[in-house]
Amino acid sequence: MNMKAIKRHIVWVTLFIFHFSLITSCIDEDEHDDTPQGNFEALWKIIDEHYCFFDYKQHEYGLDWDDIYNKYKVRAREGINREQLFEVLTDMLAELRDGHVNLAAAFDYGRYWTWHENYPTNFSDSLQRIYLGTDYRIASGLQYTIFDDNIGYVYYGSFQNGIGEGNLDEVIQHLMLCNGLILDIRNNGGGTLTYAEKLAARFCHEKTLVGYQQHKTGKGHNDFSEMKEQYIEPSSNMRWQKPVIVLTNRHVFSAANEFVKYMKCMPQVKIVGDKTGGGAGLPFSSTLPNGWTVRFSACPMYDRQRQHTEFGIEPDYYVSLKGVDFADGKDTLIEFARKLLVE
Amino acid sequence: MQQAISTMLKVTVLSLFHLFTFSPLYAQPTDSTQIRTSVNMLGVGHTNILDTYLSQEKFSGIGFSYLNMSERENPNCDWTTVLQQEVNFSSTNDRSDKVNELEGSYSLFWGKYHVWRMAENRLKLQAGGLIGGHLGFIYNTSNSNNPAQARLAAQLMPSGIATYDFTLWKKHFALRYELDLPLVGIMFSPNYGQSYYEIFSQGNYDHNIVPTTFISAPNLRQQLSIDWNVGRTWTLRIGYLGHYQQAQVNNLKSHIYAHRVMIGIVKRFQILRYRP
Repeated sequence: MNMKAIKRHIVWVTLFIFHFSLITSCIDEDEHDDTPQGNFEALWKIIDEHYCFFDYKQHEYGLDWDDIYNKYKVRAREGINREQLFEVLTDMLAELRDGHVNLAAAFDYGRYWTWHENYPTNFSDSLQRIYLGTDYRIASGLQYTIFDDNIGYVYYGSFQNGIGEGNLDEVIQHLMLCNGLILDIRNNGGGTLTYAEKLAARFCHEKTLVGYQQHKTGKGHNDFSEMKEQYIEPSSNMRWQKPVIVLTNRHVFSAANEFVKYMKCMPQVKIVGDKTGGGAGLPFSSTLPNGWTVRFSACPMYDRQRQHTEFGIEPDYYVSLKGVDFADGKDTLIEFARKLLVE
Repeated sequence: MQQAISTMLKVTVLSLFHLFTFSPLYAQPTDSTQIRTSVNMLGVGHTNILDTYLSQEKFSGIGFSYLNMSERENPNCDWTTVLQQEVNFSSTNDRSDKVNELEGSYSLFWGKYHVWRMAENRLKLQAGGLIGGHLGFIYNTSNSNNPAQARLAAQLMPSGIATYDFTLWKKHFALRYELDLPLVGIMFSPNYGQSYYEIFSQGNYDHNIVPTTFISAPNLRQQLSIDWNVGRTWTLRIGYLGHYQQAQVNNLKSHIYAHRVMIGIVKRFQILRYRP
């Protein structure tokens, strides 16, 4: 190979390699300063680009996120301390009226809990202790017993507590001779959706459309994917065929709210108690420059009429815990459910 | 008898040792030989991570790498085959030092290069292409429903290598530079606000397998190293490995910039094609 050919090769190889490096560039994201203003801007932007209920809440109560920016920007001024900044940011997030929106710092947990704090609990663990007694059974996250009138009672206090197919088989087998079932999920603040699906599948006898879900596809407030159907399919294990009453209160939220949505689609199921707390947006998280973590609703879920359940699901029978019953050691909701099942 | 067996064993072991541990500068390949260069290196250095699916913040910290490289060449052929395996693990924090992200990955590169030898065989230029496969994760220890990002990608990468042999202080050295550039590929990514629950539990796919180009996934990789023939049978390699993985798909941005100081051993094997 002569020198001319070598030079030509070197030029071609060099050009081949470097023409790509000329057109490639760094993929980066602008960071806000770690100042009160910077953290405010970062939080406002995260919510602006990712939150999923802007349109719905503008329609419901006039939420305008641009107005919120102007309202709170003046409060996030230079020189305020971390507690003051935390208060400003938490107040701003509270405008979303969303129990899935939280700001977590090492010293406090910003939250919006008025969806249950402003309502009666309709639940008493003292009364529940009377009904459960001391010899009730525990199958992972489920507590269950049989009442004197041959009604089965199951309490599931949190979908964060796992349940396996074996647990559900055992519970159904133990209660199979009962005339009906009370499934009490009062105070269940949610957890893992797959546990809610697994439990609902035990009351499902054919593939049932229970709702729809979406996710965001871009930063715009209306950038959503098409609605995808949510189905519950019958469990291949033991299933409950008899009437079921699901007891709810305002503290039923998130995955528990979804569970009520699923159960409302099952023909042998009635919902008794108070409206649920809602929480129909699957939450995501992100972080601020100062290390605080923000959680927010990212993927909206709808009922099978394509309606939002973000602000809760109405029961079939509104029943509240009465003071008179409480004094008598009676749980009004459980007693109502027993009567309904007997009828 | 025992002494004879012992002597025979010693001869056999020494023969095998010489056969498989020939140093490059002493190798005298024939028509029927193939030379295989094997490199094993460990590295430590800085990692910078951005993944807007998990956080808008950038994370930086320490990372460790293992690199295995195998190159086959025939002195009478202008083509070489290269196989590289790279394993990375990093532990990073955000600038507030309160949030942690862990990153791990395995990359496999297979490629063919055309070789030009010049300057009395002291300079070797190679140009070709790699097929790269990549599997990895980023785990954010603070997030709830989006705690992790899976990374799965394959890419065609044009690549060039320049190796220059030289002698200094009566020692043999080789300076090597490799640059791997992006062309086209394919990668997995959730959509902008799509949860893994929706993808894997509900089976709802939405542009989750994304074709990429050097614009949307400008991954670059470069290695600069110097080899020093320490002894007759092995060569020390010290160098820098820069692996810059980037993507901008589904309105999500991500990058992992890994800078590593590498140290390892190079061995060259002369493989004889022997047929009795």
